[in-house]
Amino acid sequence: MNTLSLSSNLSISKPFHCLPFSNKQQRPSHMKFVIVSCRTIKVKSNDTNLYNILSLSPKSATMDDIKKSYRSMALQHHPDVCHDPSMKEECTRMFVKVNAAYETLSNPMLREEYDCELGLRRRMISNVGVSEDEKWRRRWQQQVGGLKMRSRTRMGQKGGSWGNRMRTQNMKN
Amino acid sequence: MAEQAYTVASDSETTGEEKSSTFPEIAIGVDIGTSQCSVAVWNGSQVELLKNTRNQKMMRSYVTFKEDTPSGGVSSQLFHEHDLLSGATIFNMKRLIGRVDTDPVIHASKNLPFLVQTLDIGVRPFIAALVNNMWRSTTPEEVLAIFLVELRAMAEAQLKRPIRNIVLTVPVSFSRFQLTRIERTCAMAGLHVLRLMPEPTAVALLYGQHQQQASHENTGSGCEKIALIFNMGAGYCDVAVTATAGGVSQIKALAGYTIGGEDLLQNMMCYLLPDSQSLFKNHGVKEIKSMGLLRVATQDAIHQLSSQTNVQVDVDLGDGLKICKVVDREEFEEVNKNLFEKCESLIIQCLQDAKVEVEDVNDVIIVGGCSFIPKVKNLVTNIFKGKEPYKGMNPLEAAVCGAAVEGAVASGINDPFGYLDLLTIQATPLAIGIRANGNNFIPLIPRNTTMPARKDVVFTTIHDNQTEALILVYEGEGKKVEENHMLGYFKITGIPRAPKGVPEINVCMDIDAANVLRVLAGVVMPGCRQPAIPVMEVRMPTVDDGHGWCAEALNRTYGASLNLVTLQKKA
Repeated sequence: MNTLSLSSNLSISKPFHCLPFSNKQQRPSHMKFVIVSCRTIKVKSNDTNLYNILSLSPKSATMDDIKKSYRSMALQHHPDVCHDPSMKEECTRMFVKVNAAYETLSNPMLREEYDCELGLRRRMISNVGVSEDEKWRRRWQQQVGGLKMRSRTRMGQKGGSWGNRMRTQNMKN
Repeated sequence: MAEQAYTVASDSETTGEEKSSTFPEIAIGVDIGTSQCSVAVWNGSQVELLKNTRNQKMMRSYVTFKEDTPSGGVSSQLFHEHDLLSGATIFNMKRLIGRVDTDPVIHASKNLPFLVQTLDIGVRPFIAALVNNMWRSTTPEEVLAIFLVELRAMAEAQLKRPIRNIVLTVPVSFSRFQLTRIERTCAMAGLHVLRLMPEPTAVALLYGQHQQQASHENTGSGCEKIALIFNMGAGYCDVAVTATAGGVSQIKALAGYTIGGEDLLQNMMCYLLPDSQSLFKNHGVKEIKSMGLLRVATQDAIHQLSSQTNVQVDVDLGDGLKICKVVDREEFEEVNKNLFEKCESLIIQCLQDAKVEVEDVNDVIIVGGCSFIPKVKNLVTNIFKGKEPYKGMNPLEAAVCGAAVEGAVASGINDPFGYLDLLTIQATPLAIGIRANGNNFIPLIPRNTTMPARKDVVFTTIHDNQTEALILVYEGEGKKVEENHMLGYFKITGIPRAPKGVPEINVCMDIDAANVLRVLAGVVMPGCRQPAIPVMEVRMPTVDDGHGWCAEALNRTYGASLNLVTLQKKA
């Protein structure tokens, strides 16, 4: 699996230079993540929204809900509970995704940042938006994996933003 | 029996590939301790410990070499403790396996009553048993395999079916190299390792099952409980913090170190006979006998100090060497002060890594042979401000029971009462990374990362027109590569000529649910969509004994010519 997925990653992971930032999102620290690869991908934003991954409501989910949902998702998707060998690969992929979502949402600070960056704190995202703003937003959603990187950096690991971007891409494919 | 006692399996057969196939049979749980071992199996409704023909659940881990047929602690009749220490018996295999002769643990093993010889150059030590006044060479793998064959025969006789799949518990501090040694050993014994579980995570799974049974709640829900598991046996000390609810045990952090009852024993032996090291250096028949006598006497004394405050040690080591001394518990604790402090620091480190405060811990579980030592119990409860340890787990059987539960879960067995709707979400005990930025260790997967995991980092060349790069993969916690354990290496060739810092060399590490590590490397040139060369995928570990030499030889041959640095992206 890895050879294929990595090579496909490599082909789409070219840096995309400086996305236009909306003034509303005035967070200078974003600049680190601006160069996340950004090919238009045929994914619904649903698949990349961390709340959707864990089947949670962004507005009302409590820490308990997040943990509960993570556990029940783990019981569904962890490769250890999957006894069909042909599904192992898919399970692993899904679990890595679930875990990434959990790591961000279970950390109150990261969750707040994520909410802001999603624009959740202002208004809910609409999928039919056509304005520049919306386009940017949707693109940003595809980049949320980059945020996970920041959590990594915070936790003391150096380097790896590219790695997480790669993984985000990988998960989308 | 159709199955041969020894089957030769290639590296690739011993791990990974087979794990994905379906298993109709229930895998058994095996806990091979440094000193004792046990086997358990899920019998359809609960865990059952298997007993040998002498009705023992806990069997001594040793193999005696006599004439042509070696015999292990599972089947052989135990005459007297002293017979085990005549030079013909090899034990402590778990402390010896997968270690090189520069390892301090190997050096500490030199006063065992058999031959452990070192050349101190970073190769495997020479180990031999005294048979008819001749040193018969062996290896820890061989000894362990003989022992496993006995265990397997015992289990097969009782369960009346062939046994192939096992879940084996291992110390947290085992390197990946040691894990492959264990897998190979099992393959030698005709056993297939379904899962290698760090010991405290097996206990965590059992704890998860207890919680599940107590709460009768739906899977995935229930109140989250945080438990700290402290496991100290004869050879290793392990700590884990787990968050458990609804049958799901999430391992938040792991910590482990090579300290255990064996170290307590050796310190005490040194204390009782300060020049024991030099006295026993020659490994003559007489010395081995004295060494054995001292070992037995000291061991007895330590056991008695668990229940009484002082003990009379009275032993005649021969040649006019006698020890007659009263040892009290305080002396024992003072002699081993450093070891107990190390235990404390492991617990504290584990709590910090898990980002859990002492007050957040719902249950403190103390298991392993050393849990009977009052000082061990005290040091743990002191950290938790006098909190009573968790009851309802047999300290000697918890790990093997957990392994048996995992064996049933991993074999896809369903339980009508939902007692097997369990899951352990494992974490990596050691960081894995590569050498870059000079001699630095750059972790790609930090320790305590949830598995399965996939992480990558981009590196670049340090020379103009550098067309090749060396990827050296290490495991450990040291900042410099020399402090860590080399797992393997490979060379990337065909990097397009470019100024230094331009090619993007992406290194990705992937650990799947079966804990198989793969390292992938690809090269992309800025402005190109396609990778410049085919991506390389290497399964680790690839190095055998003498990994220290490999690193030195590579350094001597290539210097810094094939080095890499982490790529600093321009904002």
